[in-house]
Amino acid sequence: MGFFRTPAGRGVVLLFVGLVLAAVLQAEGLRKQAQIQPAGFQRDLALDVTRPLVRFSRALHLTTPRHELQAAIGREDEDRIDTGVHLTLPPPAGPLPRPARRHIGTHAPAKPRFSAARPLRLWVAGDSLAQVPGEGLERVSDPALAVLPVESRLSTGLARPDLYNWFTRFTEIDTLHPQVAVLSFGADDAHDFMAGVPNGRTVGPLGSPSWSAEYRRRVDGVTRELNAEGVYVVWLGLPIPDGPGFRKSFPIVNRILESVARAHRRGATYVDTWHLLDDAHGRYTPYLRVHGKLTLMRLPDGVHYTSAAGDLIARQVLAQLRERYRF
Amino acid sequence: MLFPTVTFAVFFMVVLPVSWALQARQRSWRAWILVASYVFYAWWDWRFVFLLAASTVVNHVLAVAIYRARAIGARKALLALAVAFDVGLLAYFKYSGFLVTSADNVLGTSWIVDITLPVGISFYTFMAISYVVDTFRGQVVPASFARFAVFQAFFPHLVAGPIVRASELLPQLEAPRDPRKVNTSRAFVLILSGLFLKVVIANHLSTHIVDDVFAAPDRHSSLEVLVAVYGYAVQIFADFCGYTNIAIGVALLLGFEFPQNFNSPYAAVSLQDFWRRWHMTLSRWLRDYLYIPLGGSRKGTLLTYRNLMLTMLLGGLWHGAAWTFVVWGGIHGVGLAVERALGWRPTSAAARFVGRVLTFHVVCFGWIFFRADSFTRAGQVLERLFTGWGRPSPLVTTSVVLAILAGIAGQYIRPGAIGRVVAGFERLPTVAQGACVAVVLVVIDTLGPEGVAPFIYFRF
Repeated sequence: MGFFRTPAGRGVVLLFVGLVLAAVLQAEGLRKQAQIQPAGFQRDLALDVTRPLVRFSRALHLTTPRHELQAAIGREDEDRIDTGVHLTLPPPAGPLPRPARRHIGTHAPAKPRFSAARPLRLWVAGDSLAQVPGEGLERVSDPALAVLPVESRLSTGLARPDLYNWFTRFTEIDTLHPQVAVLSFGADDAHDFMAGVPNGRTVGPLGSPSWSAEYRRRVDGVTRELNAEGVYVVWLGLPIPDGPGFRKSFPIVNRILESVARAHRRGATYVDTWHLLDDAHGRYTPYLRVHGKLTLMRLPDGVHYTSAAGDLIARQVLAQLRERYRF
Repeated sequence: MLFPTVTFAVFFMVVLPVSWALQARQRSWRAWILVASYVFYAWWDWRFVFLLAASTVVNHVLAVAIYRARAIGARKALLALAVAFDVGLLAYFKYSGFLVTSADNVLGTSWIVDITLPVGISFYTFMAISYVVDTFRGQVVPASFARFAVFQAFFPHLVAGPIVRASELLPQLEAPRDPRKVNTSRAFVLILSGLFLKVVIANHLSTHIVDDVFAAPDRHSSLEVLVAVYGYAVQIFADFCGYTNIAIGVALLLGFEFPQNFNSPYAAVSLQDFWRRWHMTLSRWLRDYLYIPLGGSRKGTLLTYRNLMLTMLLGGLWHGAAWTFVVWGGIHGVGLAVERALGWRPTSAAARFVGRVLTFHVVCFGWIFFRADSFTRAGQVLERLFTGWGRPSPLVTTSVVLAILAGIAGQYIRPGAIGRVVAGFERLPTVAQGACVAVVLVVIDTLGPEGVAPFIYFRF
């Protein structure tokens, strides 16, 4: 016991007292951190540890100081866990509608025109893969385009509303008045776990019929909700990844995004970043030749984009938007 | 494993008491701390543990061989082999992509190299080079393999420094640490201040202005660009100084003293002064293992300038495999040469004030190239500084300005004031100290943005 009377011993005690007390004071923050982890043993353990911690902390009103501080800086909802998939429009009965065939000889409707006086308002949102293409769009110096601040939230998606509820966010975007939403989702959804399904039910493994049906329901629901608000949706596909890790899972998500966009041809489009960023042989490459210069396109993790890739994707997005709008 | 995470807190709650429990049995302690350090490192990518182990084995074998060799020629050859191995590791893992792409763009070829950069390789390789060079110079006697392995892999400094020298750390590994001689209060003040700098100041500036402006300078006003440049200066200081404060504090709790790495760099009155205060362990490494071996200032004026420029250009390249980093080093090299040519050594209060303002702005100018991902973007930042005045500046918020002012004002806190905080903390009973630690942790966690951004210097 003599050790605990020495400064080093007091340091050990202080570390334990400080961290345990801090854990009690921010039990709800820890609970949320546990909740939003990827499914697995670590998450289960963290949930088991934080559950009684939150009960204890709430019973003693020790969560109050953190709540007060959060309220003072306008972030009172930060610890709230919202798993609801808020899709208000009823799902279509039966399979998704087939895209309407083009009638030969009919005139295409006039493209809406946008100008510096009335710019096309673009809202870019999604997981970490949304950031760089969003910045690429911001860099486009076209006065007929108004790119709203990019909303990119790390590790979020449509599968994990408990981590960040995009469905709630989509119901709020009418205040931004976008005409186009460029959405990048899926990189963090490609797992066997989804939150927001009824208690006691699971969606099955990634790519299974039940998983695909539920993910399609969410992608389709978001598209229809935004279309109902008059917002055209650009779904950014997932890029070809380095290594085998995501090589199977990303195409599953891409197929769903693409098929939903095809089914909503008037209200959505799909940007195929996979083939935009592969090499001539359809393989992953970190570099592409841009204006004759070999340019780094991907970050060392083999998934995320460099700003040059962001510019390339932004150009593709604009090219597809020009099929629908004049600007 | 990142310091400001629950994972690290749990890891350290296990490592710290076991480390002290094993102090009396040094062999067991070394095994324990080595395993802990390798687990810490493997958390990023377990494959690179083998690279770290290979670096340790090769450098130890060659250091012992250098020490045992009698003939100077053999010693030099072994040293050259060791340095070639270390520089080769860096060249392969860090610079091959950069070198091959640069060659591709000159020759029109397409030899694509795709190699993952192992975290911390620049730091532990520099420590290994200093070890073999110091052995060659007779300043260090090679330690046992286990001690050297702990020296190189010791987790507090492993991934982002400070770059500790063999002569500083190896003697501390020779004998059990004395639990009566640990400055616990200083350790906790360092850890908490480091967390505040990283989680609150650096992350806030990064997410609220710097990243947005540097991604698309053309879309922002001159005021936003100017504030983002100042913001980045504070962000990179808070990020890196925050990391090293935590590293030094964690090492202290384990009973080890690390050298200081920052000393109010933005209060510097000249660039020479800046480099005595910024990343001090890298500055002295560059001085002792590059500038002086090149000849330093001993071989005439022209060669002194050449050595200065070479040191700073290579120092720039050490930070990142891109020409923008070389330009950053060049800006500092030219600045240092100009100061030397002018004999700039401000002594009066007015000259020191002018020196501080000038130095800070030259440093900020350099940071533009350091932060920008291309020369085009750096050019856009510089152009936008002059061409967007009078436009709305929504990113220049009170919290951003306060974070920058706090970062700058922090440079002028006298060391005595920090000493008084440590002394005040020391006087509190342990339970009150624990309550203080808990409250500060909760405040930091609540004020910081969601998620933990990686430290900037991890990619170097």
